Amino acid sequence: MKKLALVLIIFSGLKSLEAGAQTFQPTGDSIITRELDEIVVTATRNERQMGAIPMPVSLIPKSQIKTMGSLRLNDVLTEQTGLVVVPQVNAQGNGIQLQGFNPDYTLILLNGEPIIGRYTGSLELSRIAVGNIKQIEIVKGPSSSLYGSDALAGVINIITDRPSGKTGNVSARYGTNQTMDLSADVGFTNDKLGVYLFANRYSTDGYDLSPENFGKTVSPFSNETFSARFDYRISPKTDLGISGRYFNENQKFNFEVLSGSELVRTSGTGSTHDYNFNPVLTHRWSNNLKTIARFYTTHYTTDTGLSLESDGSLYYTDDFTQTFTRPEINAEYFINDRNIITVGAGFTSESVRTSRYGDETLRKQHTDYGFFQYEWIPISKLTVIAGGRYDHNSVYGSQFSPKLSSQLEINDRVTLKGSMGVGFKSPDFRQLYFNFTNSAAGGYSVLGTEVIANKLAELESQGQIAAYLFDPSTLGKLQAERSVAFNFGGTFLLDKVTVNTNAFYNTVDNLIETQAVAITTNGQNIFSYRNIQRAFTSGLETNVSYPLGKGLSLSAGYQLLYAMDKDVLKDIRDGNVFYRDNETLVTKRLKASEYYGLYNRSRHTGNIKLFYKNERHGWDASLRFIYRGKYGIGDIRGSIQGEVVPPSDVNNNAVLDVHDNFISGYGLVNLSLGKTFFDNIRIQVGVDNLFDHTEPIFIPNLPGRILYGSLAYSFFKNQSKR
Amino acid sequence: MSILRSVLFLLTIVVSLSLVSCSDDDEPSLPVAAETVENLEADPATGFDPNTGQPIGTTGKFKLFSFETGDVVANTDSATTKWDIGFRGTTIMVNGGTSGPGAAQAQIVNGLFDEITEAPETGFVSDNKPTYAIPTGSGNGWYNASAGPPPTIITPIAGRVIIIKTATGRYAKVEILSYYKDAPASPTGNEPARYYKFRYVYQPNDTRSFN
Repeated sequence: MKKLALVLIIFSGLKSLEAGAQTFQPTGDSIITRELDEIVVTATRNERQMGAIPMPVSLIPKSQIKTMGSLRLNDVLTEQTGLVVVPQVNAQGNGIQLQGFNPDYTLILLNGEPIIGRYTGSLELSRIAVGNIKQIEIVKGPSSSLYGSDALAGVINIITDRPSGKTGNVSARYGTNQTMDLSADVGFTNDKLGVYLFANRYSTDGYDLSPENFGKTVSPFSNETFSARFDYRISPKTDLGISGRYFNENQKFNFEVLSGSELVRTSGTGSTHDYNFNPVLTHRWSNNLKTIARFYTTHYTTDTGLSLESDGSLYYTDDFTQTFTRPEINAEYFINDRNIITVGAGFTSESVRTSRYGDETLRKQHTDYGFFQYEWIPISKLTVIAGGRYDHNSVYGSQFSPKLSSQLEINDRVTLKGSMGVGFKSPDFRQLYFNFTNSAAGGYSVLGTEVIANKLAELESQGQIAAYLFDPSTLGKLQAERSVAFNFGGTFLLDKVTVNTNAFYNTVDNLIETQAVAITTNGQNIFSYRNIQRAFTSGLETNVSYPLGKGLSLSAGYQLLYAMDKDVLKDIRDGNVFYRDNETLVTKRLKASEYYGLYNRSRHTGNIKLFYKNERHGWDASLRFIYRGKYGIGDIRGSIQGEVVPPSDVNNNAVLDVHDNFISGYGLVNLSLGKTFFDNIRIQVGVDNLFDHTEPIFIPNLPGRILYGSLAYSFFKNQSKR
Repeated sequence: MSILRSVLFLLTIVVSLSLVSCSDDDEPSLPVAAETVENLEADPATGFDPNTGQPIGTTGKFKLFSFETGDVVANTDSATTKWDIGFRGTTIMVNGGTSGPGAAQAQIVNGLFDEITEAPETGFVSDNKPTYAIPTGSGNGWYNASAGPPPTIITPIAGRVIIIKTATGRYAKVEILSYYKDAPASPTGNEPARYYKFRYVYQPNDTRSFN
């Protein structure tokens, strides 16, 4: 969901480090053994059968997305075991929490290339329409050995449709909040050429969870997505694929913002554009050797302007432009069926220009990298994959990220898999160059580590520093955040029941945390960043699927998660952390068992889904129950529609413990029913959030009950069931 | 200005003459009691500037307090040893060093108020402006200040106990309980601030023991 009523804050790091777990995706309409044969590309950067991948991988096929009636990427991901879609601290956008990590720790790829344009580390998932998605692949555990920075928690790769025969579809959906979605796609292929075009328009009136306050929780917006793909067979051994995407979104806001001590009304507009261009040249030198040359360039820009309603004067502006360009070449070499080598190299060039860094200067960084991977299958029941990647970055230096994984098929019913790997996340532009004073939220400032020394000297000479809270000379250069991760699990076939389970342990060092550095003479805090925290996330994810027969299949997923700050845990064990009952004002010593862990993580999350498909009569249906257990929120000090978000910690120890206030656990029930007529007309109706659960302040990205109906028409009958 | 004093509870420790060191005149010590002070006005604001949101009406003066009398001391006595500790906003001074003519020093100990049965022998420091024996700044001394946009919420950190060597060389331990008027359970930062609630134990005799 999108741009909720304001007040941005810039705290990342541990407070927001988020989690998830792993397994196969239980699909409703296919049994697991069939799923094991599905081809996935993300885990090894080569096309491999899912059942042969020795790490936790799951796949969401198009058919499931259609049955769920999803429109945007966040709709799909929020229903997957081990993925928690969380509102961001600034309430702007949805991020994905995977294995207990914040959204900035999961790399989100579109056909293998990163989507840019993150806001305070979080990528707005609703930017991605799902109408042209072939499948979504999710790899849990660090994948920096193949993908470099940001793949610390995992990778989500969105694979879009490719040209395949003659296709032509149009669809329209209308629902609550005047939400209208129009999609069309057309494609054809011949011996040499394939073309696939997709267009989507989405518009909504937004929604208002606190009607008593000025403005809407989500302001009205509309967006358009166009994507195109051309496949051309240059020769029997050489293929060229070219894909591109253009996205444009516009939104109208009404905000109440704090100016001095008064709330003033503002209105304005925001716009976001992104586009990318991605040619890929594949050449098969022999049956054993294939090389792929890829080029990717993408551009993201967003602008916001707010004016005072009283006199129309400009109150606040914000602009942000980011570019990312990457050429890469890689090769896959089959020494024989039991020994496969993949190598690759490339470089990325990134730039950011934004008002948030104070001066609209173009900031650049580039990374050179190389990676290798060796797949070894000594016996048919055993697969071992060893790999690593070396990155050298112009700002934060070099990183080596190795990974080792293996899978052993014990018998027809039991397969075990285990992996260990290193992940990293580089300091981002914001942590280096931020030079931002938030006039819309009181006037505090955030300064990146590369600019703070000069800026403090300037303020000091102007006599604006009242006091230092932290010695700024010790801030130093930011290091990349690093993790070591262990995943161990397996697949068990018990009669008709399939159980997938994975236990994970991630230990993270050098987490970058916000640090208050100084107070200005007018009482505002100045923040910067430093490497400080050590944390771990650990848990167990399990998915069970059971085909009930007659087209019905039942699945259930559950994740248990512990995500904790190691330093806090040590302090508690040493007896140095206390809590004060805020009614009786009696202080007690906190026990380790009373520590709940990091903010915004639920210990328990899960889902139960029932899918139905009757091919013969064209019916499909689903009933999904999605649960998120209780969790705490940190001292984000943001406000939603003018209402301050109260932090969970109420007992004076700055630690989330069992005596604090929690946001209660909640379950959502979603229903859908579809019917296909004449093989080419499909009608679907559905309800999301059947029981109309809302939490205006704490979960502003959760709209109330959504009713919808849709109609789809296929011009070519054989494509209608795709 | 009214200071409510209430006896929270009497420590039920039986005084053992052999354990408690005697005062100079060899009189047996009586058990010391924990006292609670509420709504001590530490230079509160009378209002807010509508343009800047900054508090107005503050005097810049510390509210002085004596552990021996358990009551506030007039600012006219600031150059005497009649007071031990002074409060102004989040800043707490003690009567010594750069703050006053007394011998008062302080240090912060991490622990449970009731478990601290004896003042440390060493580790006391004097006020030395611009630094104070009780450090100022979020997380440094007795309080945390919320980050982010105003209003800032001041929360006394659980487990931080201030140990004071008084102006006349006796010992006291202090736990700050609230910074807001009438000690609301969940302050939002909008309540009248600079109203201290704290409890203390004062040892009138020449011993470091708080029993």
